[in-house]
Amino acid sequence: MAEVRLNAIKKAFGPVEVLHGISLDIASGEFVSLLGASGCGKTTLLRIVAGLESVTSGSVEIGGRDVTALPPEKRDIAMMFQSYALLPHLSVAENVRFPLRMRRIGTLEEQREKVRDALETVQLGHLAERRPNQLSGGQQQRVALARAIVSRPEILLLDEPLSNLDARLREDMQVELIEIHKRLGLTTLFVTHDQEEALSLSDRIVLLNKGAVEQEGGPREIYTHPATGYASGFLGAANLVAAEIFDGAEGPVARLEDGQELNLPVEEKLRGPVTLALRQEDLALSGGEGAGLKGSVRTRVYLGARNRYVIRLGGGEVRILAPHDLEFERGDAVRVTIDPARIRVLSRDERP
Amino acid sequence: MTMTDRAENTLLILPGLVLLVLAFFVPIAQMLVLSVAGENGPTLAHFQRFLSDPYYLNVLWRTVRLSAIITLICALIGFPLAYIMAHVSARARLWLVIMVILPLMTSVVVRTFGWMVLLSRSGLIPEVLRDMGLVGRNFSLMQTETAIVVGMVQVLLPFMTLSILGVVTRIDRRLEEAARTMGCGFLQTLRTVVLPLSAPGIVAGSLLVFTLSASSFVTPNLLGGSRIQVLAASIYRSVTQTLDWPFAAAQAVILFVGILVLLMPYARLSGRTNG
Repeated sequence: MAEVRLNAIKKAFGPVEVLHGISLDIASGEFVSLLGASGCGKTTLLRIVAGLESVTSGSVEIGGRDVTALPPEKRDIAMMFQSYALLPHLSVAENVRFPLRMRRIGTLEEQREKVRDALETVQLGHLAERRPNQLSGGQQQRVALARAIVSRPEILLLDEPLSNLDARLREDMQVELIEIHKRLGLTTLFVTHDQEEALSLSDRIVLLNKGAVEQEGGPREIYTHPATGYASGFLGAANLVAAEIFDGAEGPVARLEDGQELNLPVEEKLRGPVTLALRQEDLALSGGEGAGLKGSVRTRVYLGARNRYVIRLGGGEVRILAPHDLEFERGDAVRVTIDPARIRVLSRDERP
Repeated sequence: MTMTDRAENTLLILPGLVLLVLAFFVPIAQMLVLSVAGENGPTLAHFQRFLSDPYYLNVLWRTVRLSAIITLICALIGFPLAYIMAHVSARARLWLVIMVILPLMTSVVVRTFGWMVLLSRSGLIPEVLRDMGLVGRNFSLMQTETAIVVGMVQVLLPFMTLSILGVVTRIDRRLEEAARTMGCGFLQTLRTVVLPLSAPGIVAGSLLVFTLSASSFVTPNLLGGSRIQVLAASIYRSVTQTLDWPFAAAQAVILFVGILVLLMPYARLSGRTNG
């Protein structure tokens, strides 16, 4: 276990700079997610920590030691690859023992003991003698996890390890990862493009956008208080609606492009043209006349437990998650209401 | 229209089968028959003569030994070369492939004469060695086993390199990276990951190189001279100089069976790594 410190990491591939000076501190035992869309540089950053990629400038410290110039084998890390990267010519047990053997950790007997423990941890003790190609994707993934934790590395690096699993297995593995992290307390850096995964697993989320840190913070903080338009768009798939704020009789009022008005909390300080971030699950839908913004149903998507509606509103469109028993048809006139406290107001220049 | 798939397949395979039988099995059968031909019916006298004469046993041993050395050297050069070829850009790889197969594009005789020029007493290599004071005045590499090995390695290296290249390019690059993150240095990664996974290519290349070098004739004959005979050259002499065709056939059978016996475990090995 050790802390990780990234100092102003820059990385360029040829003339293209993909990381623009990223600094990040990860405390010992912390579980940090690098979240971002594909191409944001999150995997490159992880590979830099692993030593598989060099930096153009900046430095990497692990446990207070500058490891920027060290090759991967000289860093006390373990990495789990998206493709698992199990060695096909070795059995499951030999795969898990591999880091112990290469790093010369313990005697043969101790190594076997550790391999047994690690395989028990991921509930694969009975498959120790199989070859990787005889296992299912989920089992291979567990073997890769066992191999990553067996040597108790200072840093555990996970590169989208769950993205090749089907939905059910992915949920199981999320739970397992949380438990293993709690039990072993390994400093963990986790790369994902899946916001739900990041929210459920992490102590802290670092949202990357185009090679720079967009926002970082705890899952709850980053979800409820996205700092920028990009953050609110990425987390929770918020609706971004253009509006203009002026002072009304009872406080600030937002006027949408079609002239409809929405009361905002009195604390709101911004005036003038803004962007409102409205979360899908915060918007409530009702039929007929009543309070709220007027809109009409454009599409309904059946999701099982819920329906997703696309509503024409305020000169644009918003998406709304509604209970499954609420049924509207295309073209129906509806009312959309929202708790003013749940509205996030972003100044225009923050729009992505 | 009522022809079944099976009948259709048989019909399609027929021309190839006929060619194979005519061009391959008939000559081998003929060779087998000829090798036991005697004046009074079948005899094993030719084999006896070969196996009881130290001269011929020495020729056989030299053939096997040189082939093994050539195979080993080809593997030692071919594996790193193939690894490098697999890891450079596509453009550089193309140039390397061309360089590797260039020797195959020239006639074996011309190429061997080239080596004769380089290796003879007044040739470039012995001269340089002499100038450096490493060897005596009369040093020559011609008509030595070294010359045979050098000449043969050049000819056979492409077979080894390309066999290994085919396998190495298909190894997932992530496996090497994973090994590095698990504490392997570069060379250790080569040894523990790349080498085992390249085994099928190395086995296939070795089979090719060993077989080709054990049965090769022109290069050993020109570079080794008449004193250093290999089996193929000995067969040639029996056919053209002593006109002892049955004895030549017996030697050919011994070469044939010898290679077969040596290669059997190898083939099984490659079968296992593939399965």
